Amino acid sequence: MAETLETRAVVIGAGPAGYVAAIRLGQLGLEPVLVEKGELGGTCLNVGCIPSKALISASKLVHQLGHSSEMGISCPDVKVDLAQMMRWKDGIVGRLTGGVGQLVKGHGGRVVQGAASFEDAHTLRIDGPEGERRLRFEHAIVATGSAPASLPGFEFDGRSVVGSTEALAWTTAPERLLVIGGGYIGMELGGVWQRLGSRVTVVEFEDRVLPGFDKDLARPVVKRFQAQGGTLLTGTKARGFRALKGGGVEVEVESRKDGTRRALEADVILLTVGRRPLSGGLGLEKAGVALDARGFIVVDGAQRTNVSHIFAVGDVAGEPMLAHKGSKEGEVAAEVIAGRPSAFDTSAVPAVVFTDPEIATVGMTEGEAKAAGYEPRAARFGFAGNGRALSLNDAEGFVRLVACAETGRLLGAQIVGPEASNLIAELGLALEMGALVSDIGLTIHAHPTLAEAVMEAANAVSGHAIHAPPSRR
Amino acid sequence: MRYEFKLPDLAEGMVEGEIVGWLVAAGDAVVAEQPMVEVMTDKATVVISSPRPGTVLELGYQSGDIAPVGTTLFVLEVEGAAPEVSPEAPSAPAPGDQTTTSRPKAAPKLEAPAASAPASRAGDGPAAVARGAGKAVATPATRRLARELGIDIAQIEGSGPAGRVTQEDVRAHVDGKQRREAAAPVSPATAHAMAPLVARRTEGEESDKRVPLRGLRRAIYETMTRSKSTAAHFTYVEEVECTNLVQARERLRAASDAAGVRLSYLPFIAKASLLALRAFPKMNATMDDAAGELVLWGHHHLGIAAATDAGLTVPVIRFADDLTLIELAARVVDLSDKARRGRLSPDESRGSTFTITSLGRIGGLHATPIINHPEVAILGVHKMEPRAVVREGQVVARQMMNISLSFDHRVIDGHEGAAFAQRIKTYLEDPDLMLLEMR
Repeated sequence: MAETLETRAVVIGAGPAGYVAAIRLGQLGLEPVLVEKGELGGTCLNVGCIPSKALISASKLVHQLGHSSEMGISCPDVKVDLAQMMRWKDGIVGRLTGGVGQLVKGHGGRVVQGAASFEDAHTLRIDGPEGERRLRFEHAIVATGSAPASLPGFEFDGRSVVGSTEALAWTTAPERLLVIGGGYIGMELGGVWQRLGSRVTVVEFEDRVLPGFDKDLARPVVKRFQAQGGTLLTGTKARGFRALKGGGVEVEVESRKDGTRRALEADVILLTVGRRPLSGGLGLEKAGVALDARGFIVVDGAQRTNVSHIFAVGDVAGEPMLAHKGSKEGEVAAEVIAGRPSAFDTSAVPAVVFTDPEIATVGMTEGEAKAAGYEPRAARFGFAGNGRALSLNDAEGFVRLVACAETGRLLGAQIVGPEASNLIAELGLALEMGALVSDIGLTIHAHPTLAEAVMEAANAVSGHAIHAPPSRR
Repeated sequence: MRYEFKLPDLAEGMVEGEIVGWLVAAGDAVVAEQPMVEVMTDKATVVISSPRPGTVLELGYQSGDIAPVGTTLFVLEVEGAAPEVSPEAPSAPAPGDQTTTSRPKAAPKLEAPAASAPASRAGDGPAAVARGAGKAVATPATRRLARELGIDIAQIEGSGPAGRVTQEDVRAHVDGKQRREAAAPVSPATAHAMAPLVARRTEGEESDKRVPLRGLRRAIYETMTRSKSTAAHFTYVEEVECTNLVQARERLRAASDAAGVRLSYLPFIAKASLLALRAFPKMNATMDDAAGELVLWGHHHLGIAAATDAGLTVPVIRFADDLTLIELAARVVDLSDKARRGRLSPDESRGSTFTITSLGRIGGLHATPIINHPEVAILGVHKMEPRAVVREGQVVARQMMNISLSFDHRVIDGHEGAAFAQRIKTYLEDPDLMLLEMR
């Protein structure tokens, strides 16, 4: 019988939820064991957030070089070496994932390679390169993440139907790319390959792409996507496909409005119809851990499952499946295990989409505020009135703030436009601090910066934005 | 309309309270829960808050007055037609407050996982804090503070802009809660003043608890902290042969029994201390730290530390030096009885100038007594038992007892403290000597 390890706390899965939990446990002196069957860093660092952002930046640069004649720049012969681009991307991933291992070890944690599954509520079996081992634990944190969901008739085969992982590693751009699912992953990756030369068609079941966001936030993205030659088929169902003899596929789609069907040809199908929690195959039933109907592990505000010494964090513990939400949950679980009165009780989880232009939101939309019983007052400020946006040659989009009309307290913010992903941070802090929109409006924002648009939007809520026409209210 | 607030009995057996000071004046507008007056009971000083908003019409007592329970403490002009008189115990915690103090439901067993899922994300379990919106507006740091203090922040009304709950609000809520709970009638079951506030599981243990310090325990906590963080404790231990003391007590027992007074050793020790204090006036003193002055008292108010169910209490025998041995004996019996029943009057529970602490049979060999701040010395008395001692070159058994004198080395030098302890020892070893100096 192989050796049996013992630990006060084990973390299963080394993504941004799990490795953060492990580091925090280490900081709190619990000497955790972090078990990972694949690469440290999980989906986010290896095949998600980070590599996709690298390709988004690179592909945006490619596009800009070809579309900056207005600024007096023309590059008639931009050469793109995709293999080198992928190596560059892999280098970034390598640096970050290597850092994860060092951090965990530096804080007194131990990394164990292998696939973990529960044998009972206090024992894990770990199958790894060193054989099969047992690990006895006092506390466990399940952070196994999620995987791309498939669609009936479109099973992943790594050739005709691929997921985001493959689409982050192509060394030649497919000529015709069919994206099924116009959510944020589909629109981000569709955008990457569009800018790198593919003809991209997005098929979306709902009536519009990015259905999780307000329509006016999605509009500049749709406009730019189409202007760059992309095709959006919304309200359309993908029924099935067949592989063609000469390579490529033929996909049958059906309009949900009138039922008309048509065939689309493409070289490859990128399936991005959401993600599913990875809660199967872990022996959770042997530990007695309960799942909900969708396969998420049910947790409370302390990230505790129904088994009091087993916790779950990140994608496997429920929506929204966002890395930063998982990291926060990881910290909470670690602190609770260490006996601290921690809880996941933040006001808002920001959401960011790296389309072109970017979309970022935090807190409530105007509609959500109404539904929550507030009388909201919302106002927006367009980047067209922002000097920095104009000087970046990227002045589409706006900042919108939603406030409580009675008290002036900020309830939410939505941004579409340049650097929306960075601009949203200020508004997340404002929400957590319970700031009034006047707090934001009265704060000097450096000139000339994109952040001035946030200040102006705050003043617009109060009815006195400077660089905007007189209020229509 | 007029609303009369009557002094509730803040603790079991309380008959009166001393008005320490008013926090409002006639004519002031007050809001609900606004602190109105500090009242000192024999157990603790309590801030009484107004249960209702209104305008102060009159104050029933002046600072320093003794207010009997049930008499009108203050009168408010309030809006609306409501009961004109405060209910019996207006300061008792409202039922709503209980939500934050209630015990968690039975915690899930470690080894026996329940098959069903929790009812909701914010389901069972002490750490089950609700996620998401609909909560109080408060900064992350403030929310964490509330969690650390075991307070449901949603219960707190925010004073900041847009109803934001500030850190001050959280702290004030905790203070108010402590006062309200300290002011609640103390039943025997809760007399420990240690109801669990939050019992959260740690390390899988289900027995761990967080016990908030309230009422008397809080007062003890503060006094002890002040003593240990100011005085430079010097503890001097000496042994006392009690052969003569035992005989003296035996001889006097018949007379004291006839007088209906139980004569323990404590009155002898008290008398010996009082006589020694006469010779060492610096020991009968208190520190005025603010003024940087040692206050030597002309009177001798003797504190006798007593263990009660509620915690350490120090009843005070006023002008103890004027009392005879049997009078001291009677006062010791009377006050310790009152202390146990929580019936000490304010005068009987403060103002001591020197303190004796005795644990009787469980007194142990020696200890390092903590000075009863702001006094400068305390005498610890330990168990009396036959011990082997050397007398005239021979090992013999004698009734022996140790005394531990702690004194504040900042103001009392070692040799002074030692001499004082030796004086006490002398009296106790030869009680007849006391006759010479008895008034």
